[in-house]
Amino acid sequence: MASSVRDILSKVWHRYRIQTAVFLLFISLWFIFFALNPFAFTRAYTYTSLMSTMPFTIVPALSLTYVVICAEIDLSFPSVMALASWMLAVTWKDMGPTPLGVLLALAAGAVAGLFNGLLVTKARIPSIIATLGTLFFWRGVVMVCSQGYGIALFEYKDTPIYNLFVGRVAGLVPAQMIWTAALAVILWVFLNLHKFGAHIYFTGDNRVAARMMGINTDKVLICVFIIHGLISAFAGILATLEVATFWPSLGEAYLMKSIAAVVVGGTSIFGGTGTIFGTFFGGLILGFIELGLLAAGVAGFWIRLVYGVVITVTLIVQAIIREAEIKREMKEILSEELKEAPRGP
Amino acid sequence: MIMESKYLVETRNLVKRFGDVIALRNVNFKIGYNEVVGLVGDNGAGKSTLVKTITGTYAPDSGEIYIKGMKFKRLTPQKARELGIEIVHQERTIAESQPIWRNVFMGREITGPLGFLRIEEMKKATMRLIKEMGFKSEVIYPEKLARTLSGGYKQGVQIARALYFKADLIILDEPTIQLSLSEVSRVLDFVKDLKNRGKSCIFISHNIYHVYPVADRFVIMDRGRIVAEFRKRDLSIGDLSNILVTIARTGDIPAEYREINIVSRPLEEVS
Repeated sequence: MASSVRDILSKVWHRYRIQTAVFLLFISLWFIFFALNPFAFTRAYTYTSLMSTMPFTIVPALSLTYVVICAEIDLSFPSVMALASWMLAVTWKDMGPTPLGVLLALAAGAVAGLFNGLLVTKARIPSIIATLGTLFFWRGVVMVCSQGYGIALFEYKDTPIYNLFVGRVAGLVPAQMIWTAALAVILWVFLNLHKFGAHIYFTGDNRVAARMMGINTDKVLICVFIIHGLISAFAGILATLEVATFWPSLGEAYLMKSIAAVVVGGTSIFGGTGTIFGTFFGGLILGFIELGLLAAGVAGFWIRLVYGVVITVTLIVQAIIREAEIKREMKEILSEELKEAPRGP
Repeated sequence: MIMESKYLVETRNLVKRFGDVIALRNVNFKIGYNEVVGLVGDNGAGKSTLVKTITGTYAPDSGEIYIKGMKFKRLTPQKARELGIEIVHQERTIAESQPIWRNVFMGREITGPLGFLRIEEMKKATMRLIKEMGFKSEVIYPEKLARTLSGGYKQGVQIARALYFKADLIILDEPTIQLSLSEVSRVLDFVKDLKNRGKSCIFISHNIYHVYPVADRFVIMDRGRIVAEFRKRDLSIGDLSNILVTIARTGDIPAEYREINIVSRPLEEVS
C-alpha cells in the first residue's frame, strides 16, 4: 500500500516536476505565514480577502499562458482591462446595470485582441513590440475618452448582475474566485484535451514544422490573442465591480504581476511548454506573499523585495530542474546509442 | 477512384522557374509501385524542387503530374496527402517538447465531437506503430518526449506518421543528414522495411553510401535535368561514384556507362 502511494508520487514527480515544485512552494509559504501569524491564518476573512483580490492577477495570467506557450507575449492587457472597464462604466451610467455593458466590454477586449493578433501575424511585428504599442494606444484611448476622470458605480452595488460577478457566495467566497476557478478549468480543458490546445503547443514549439504539417499557425495565434483580449476584458470587469469604480489607470498594477504568475508557474518564455495549473498556483503564490507579509506585520515596502526574491529563486530552481532533466535525457540517448553502436574489432 | 496505371507517380515535361533560374527543365520522372528510387545529384540539381512539386508545395510552370494514372496540372499539399504521398522533410517536423503520440498526429489529430481529442485512441495507434516499426517498445513508448529521442528515432517517428496515414509513396529528403553511424543504419532499415510492406519510396541523399544499399534504381539530376537513370544491378557503388563525379565535372555521364543508362525508357521495358 505504502509502496503504491510512493509509486504514484514518484510518477507525478517525474512527469510534473515543475508543477510539483510550484505547488510545494505554495504549501510551504502557507506554513511559514501560518507560523508567523497563526491568528490571521485561522480566520476565514483572511482567505476571503485573498480570494477577492487574487482573481485580477490570475485571470489575465491564465489566458496569457496560452500566448506565452505560443512563444509570444502580450503587454497590452492592462490597457485592455481599462478599456473594458470604461466601456462597462459608461454603458451602465447611461442605461443602468445592463448585460449589454458586459457584452460591450467583452467585445472591446476581443477587438483589441484581434488587433494584436493581426499586428503579429499579418504585419509580422514581434509581439513584444506590437503589444507595447497597443499598451500605450488603448491606455491613451481610455485617457482621452474618460478625460482622466473616474466613474463611480456605487449605486449598482448588490444588483443581481453585480452579485453575479463579485458577490459573496455564502457570505464568504467571492464570486470572482469561482469565476477564476471556472475559467482555469475551461482553459485547462481546451489546452489539454482539445485540438486547439494541441495546435497552441505546436505553434510555440516548432512553428515551421506545424505549418508544414498543415496547421494554420496564423489562425491559432489570432485566436489566442482574441481569447486573451476577451479574458483580460473580463478581468477588467471584475476589478471594476469589486471596487464599484472605473478609474483610468486600472490594470497597470497587474502587468508585471500577471507575467510573473505565468513564469513562476513554470511556463517557458521560449514557448512550447507551460501549464494552466502552474499559472494558477503561481498567481496564488504572489497573492499569498502580499497578504502573508502584511499579516505578519512586515512593512509594505518589503513586499516587492520579497516578490523579487521569490520570483528569482523560483526561476533558478526551475532552471536547475530543467538542466538536470536535459542531462538525464542526454545520458539516456547516449547510452542507448552506445548499446547499439557497431562493435569494433 | 483507382485507375490502372503502370506508375504510381509520373511527371511529364515538368518545368519550374524561380525568376530567371530554371529549377526543373522538362523533367520526366517516374516511380513504380513497390519501388525504392534513389534521387541523387549535387546541390541545386533540382531534387528538392522536384519532390516539392510532386507533393504540392510548388506549382509547376508547365508540364503534368500523373498520380495513379490521374492527371494534375498542379497539386496542393492536402491533395497530395489524400492521394497517399507523404514527405519526410529535411527540416525535422518534430515538436521537441511534445510526446511521440502527439507528434505522430501533428496537424491531423483524431478528434471526437466538437474537436476534442481522442487521446487513448491516438496513444494506442502510436503504440501499434512503435511495434510495427520495430522500435524497442521498452525504451520507446507513446508518452516519451520527442526531445529524448535520438536522431534516427526522430526520423522513425516521421516515417511512422507517414505509415499511419496510409501513404503509398514516402519521400525522404536527406533523412540521414547529421546522423551518427548506428542511426543511419536504423533509418536504412526503416526504408528496407517500407519496401517489404509494398510501399514506394523516393530517397534523396548526397551520400551514395546511404542510398546505394536501399535503392532499386538511381535517378541522377544535374542543373534541373534528369541526366541519367541506372538499375542497381547494372552498377557497383564505385561505378555510381565515378558517374556522379564525372557529371559534376562535365555535365555528362562517362561514355562507358551509356549502354546501361535507361533514362527516358519506359520502366516495363527495362525491368
